[in-house]
Amino acid sequence: MPHKEKIAWMTLLWIAVTYGPYFAHVVMSPPEPGLMPNLPQLWLLALALGGNGVLHILGRIGLWIASPEDARAPADERDHDIERRSILVAYYVMMAGLTVVGLAMPFTTSGWTIVNAGLAAIVLAEITNNGLAVWNYRRSAA
Amino acid sequence: MSGGTITNQIRTLRFMAGEMSQAELGQKIGVTRQTIAAIEAGKYSPTLEAAFRIAEVFGKPLDEVFQWRSGG
Repeated sequence: MPHKEKIAWMTLLWIAVTYGPYFAHVVMSPPEPGLMPNLPQLWLLALALGGNGVLHILGRIGLWIASPEDARAPADERDHDIERRSILVAYYVMMAGLTVVGLAMPFTTSGWTIVNAGLAAIVLAEITNNGLAVWNYRRSAA
Repeated sequence: MSGGTITNQIRTLRFMAGEMSQAELGQKIGVTRQTIAAIEAGKYSPTLEAAFRIAEVFGKPLDEVFQWRSGG
């Protein structure tokens, strides 16, 4: 499996274990929209963001230890091709999400609802980017 | 635009080059082993530059390595 595909799988996994519980909590007990800064909610967000970052760094180190040659090798033309295609679609997903968040939501809601919707748009774009990368690698695997 | 496929002789040429491995070929042209495997299986079409580099490794003209099969 190409190194970049492993990273894409890993990113999807870390999204599931960090942002998954965060958004599950947000859906089950939504924070009061107008109440800012709402420190407990801010801590949860920091935990999800920080946890994702730490897991990503540890995962990269783990992949590097497992196969240092693959990790050192620069991305080749197929990697770039797959990255370009995945990012293009993910960009439109993010722009659509942030357009709704930035242009429509301020008329109907405020505070944490907007923050979480913005984060959801970014996470959705990241899922799209890495999901498409995995799909493209699988599709063109020998 | 009518369809078609690109076929290649890389597997045969690797065999004739002393069973050169996919990793070795990849290293010579600057791509990963997995990319060579994908090209060989016809699942990924290389750039023109990579195609020329592969042909150069085997000392063959491009059309002896890659062929275009028109879909009609």
